Amino acid sequence: MPLEVQGQSLNPLGLGSLAGLGRPSLLAALAFAAASVVLCFLGARRARRDLSDAGIRAAVAAAGFTSWATFCLLTAFFAHDFSVAYVASYSSRSLTGAYTFSALWGGMEGSLLLWALLLTVLGAIALTRASSASTDLVAWAGAVFSSISCFFLFLLAVPADPFARLVAAPTDGQGLNPLLQSPGMLIHPPLLYLGFVGFSIPFAFGIAALLSKRSDDEWLRATRRWTLLAWSSLSTGIVLGGAWAYTELGWGGYWAWDPVENASFMPWLTATAFLHSIVIQEKRRMLKVWNLSLILLTYVLAVFGTFLTRSGILSSIHTFSEGDVGKYFLPYLALVLIAGIALIATRLDALSSENRLDSLLSRESAFMANNVLFLAAAFTVLWGTVYPIVNEWLTGLRLSVGPPFFNRAFVPIGLAIIALTGLGPLISWRRMRAASLLRLLRVPLAVAAVVVAGLGFGGVDSFGALLAFGLCAFTATAVGSEFVRGSRVHRRREGLSWPAALARTVARNRRRYGGYVVHLGVVLIVIGFAGGWAKVERSRELDAGESMRIGDYALSYEGLRSSETPEKQVNDATIKVTRGEELVTVLHPQRNFHLASRQTQSEVAIRTTPLEDLYVVVTAVDADSAIVLRAFVNPLTWWIWVGAFVMVGGMGVLMSGPSPVSVTVPAPRRLSHAAASS
Amino acid sequence: MDQALPYSASRSRRLKLLIGGGVIVAALATLIVWALSRPGSTSFYMTVSELRASGPVASSELRVNGNVVPGSLSRSGIETTFAITDGSRNLAIVTDEPLPDAFSTAYRSDPSAVEVVAQGSYAGGHLQASQVLAKCPSKFKARA
Repeated sequence: MPLEVQGQSLNPLGLGSLAGLGRPSLLAALAFAAASVVLCFLGARRARRDLSDAGIRAAVAAAGFTSWATFCLLTAFFAHDFSVAYVASYSSRSLTGAYTFSALWGGMEGSLLLWALLLTVLGAIALTRASSASTDLVAWAGAVFSSISCFFLFLLAVPADPFARLVAAPTDGQGLNPLLQSPGMLIHPPLLYLGFVGFSIPFAFGIAALLSKRSDDEWLRATRRWTLLAWSSLSTGIVLGGAWAYTELGWGGYWAWDPVENASFMPWLTATAFLHSIVIQEKRRMLKVWNLSLILLTYVLAVFGTFLTRSGILSSIHTFSEGDVGKYFLPYLALVLIAGIALIATRLDALSSENRLDSLLSRESAFMANNVLFLAAAFTVLWGTVYPIVNEWLTGLRLSVGPPFFNRAFVPIGLAIIALTGLGPLISWRRMRAASLLRLLRVPLAVAAVVVAGLGFGGVDSFGALLAFGLCAFTATAVGSEFVRGSRVHRRREGLSWPAALARTVARNRRRYGGYVVHLGVVLIVIGFAGGWAKVERSRELDAGESMRIGDYALSYEGLRSSETPEKQVNDATIKVTRGEELVTVLHPQRNFHLASRQTQSEVAIRTTPLEDLYVVVTAVDADSAIVLRAFVNPLTWWIWVGAFVMVGGMGVLMSGPSPVSVTVPAPRRLSHAAASS
Repeated sequence: MDQALPYSASRSRRLKLLIGGGVIVAALATLIVWALSRPGSTSFYMTVSELRASGPVASSELRVNGNVVPGSLSRSGIETTFAITDGSRNLAIVTDEPLPDAFSTAYRSDPSAVEVVAQGSYAGGHLQASQVLAKCPSKFKARA
């Protein structure tokens, strides 16, 4: 084992490499997961609690062995055990502590291991904690869940063994791609995986509800918090991916409609539809088939996402490997999809709605419109993503679909969703008179009109941007007025101050107001997107002492400082930023050469303000210290990250709320809007 | 009679649902077809030889991939020029966009093994590229 010391402490875990124990424990995990499927299945079929309990204990054991295997791979990384091919490919002696962790998911095998780890551990927790739910439901859920674990553990055991050995261990590894050596990469992939994996819990319970021939919504109530957790993780993961692209990749943007980005976005869209439509099932016992279909679709799209990433079927910067893992995914996906549809189809009669839509102008139909829009959005993204494959099949011609398609097709749907976000809360359950709605719409529409007029006269000349800002103003006002209305009731009734009344309003009905906070976060994010309309970009070659202009700024290149660390050769440019006579800031973009991986990489420098980001990147360095400087002015990008924080805060409020009890909404809407009622 | 009422009611519901669904699907299909047909939404892949053999091509967006010809890379100001080959014929690529970091990395270690995809329009015997993507050689598929 290569343990000779090279300058730094090699192994904070205080252990040598335990890689030798990794594969046996993965195989043990697979065996326990398989046993869990059989035991839970028998327990469910024969109504024997002892068997299904044993099955759940087997799922816990599978989680334990998967955790142990992950720990073994970590020890191999920290001990620099380069006899393990995976460790040699994705780490090196100079890699520092935290990034040795992220090297764990730097490649395919480790990513799958992380996936399996999250899957088995979350599943074990969900199954053991759901013991208060009906026995047959939990037993079936255990069988479904463990079968998912089996699939991923099988991948790790056969085509994607993370513990495969090299014949001769190299003295140093190839290092981790420097792009992945960033704080964002420490949390972006695990959060995405947590999101993907999290949806397999409501999926397993939904399928379990079908298998146990139940038509109630117990599966939804038992998994509500998991659904919210998965959705929050996926949302945060996607935003962090955008933030990572923005700060690391140096092209001045955060979202490129890359197939793998789309792969994470599609399940997010269907999951968002699911999150909304389960409210209708809960309140009105409608849309049962629809909800089961949505969670099936979300799960399939999440796995399809991994397939896209791992199969190399589409070219993407995220495509890690063209290994043979891909060929296992398609049959699995087909199996899940066909079995899921067949199961739902056989239970159609029992799952019919207990209520009907009373009126087209009702909260129910607003929710349904939301679902239609989210599914349309998901289909648009799916179509753009797979169109190259479909087209090549049909015509033999190879083509690629670029961001312009997605922007053209997606933005109208996205804006309609934003409008509905503002409209929805104003419409009452069951039915509403159009006149009442119009009265509620007056203020938000007036605010939107003022904003559009102000921006239009202020020089915003893009129709799309005006529409987006106008809709954001409309929705923010409509949602904001819900808070005002609720607070006013508490203020009057309990004599509270405005802030106290607001806090009371939110605390009393965390699910509703938490949801509104999430919506406000989305509005902020859309404001950030809309700012992209005024984006400016320029590139210029600069000798030391020369300067270039972008927007109101003058960027003068003061010179290049070169130095060398054990990991990289650093070329640090000094860019003095002035506006008029005023010195704004000094930026230090870098262009570095990473020694272990022999990769050149630019480090972006950004000056962020709520109004706009000044973003500079050195794209080439000459021998005589001349540089090519690329600069962007990105208006309002700051709001995207702020909006994301607001969203996460809102999700926290939402999740802290009580789990739903079975209630249906009785009365039509109270116009006075008694905030304390739910 | 009281049997027929719910039946016809459910039939008219179904009809409404069908019409509503049809309208939605038609609207979405229109949106997608429109967006796909707009310029810049899609770009066709061609090999270097296909492109050179085809003579003048309409100014639509193209994607051409090939290996960089060693020694062909030069830069003047922000404009970079290089040639790619598919083994039999060469094509000059001109771009104002910065080359991706992966390009520099690969070019530095083995200039003949840099595989790129250039996207842009073909005119005057060269491809004016709005985007150059480099395939990262072997790094991500390391399986020694």
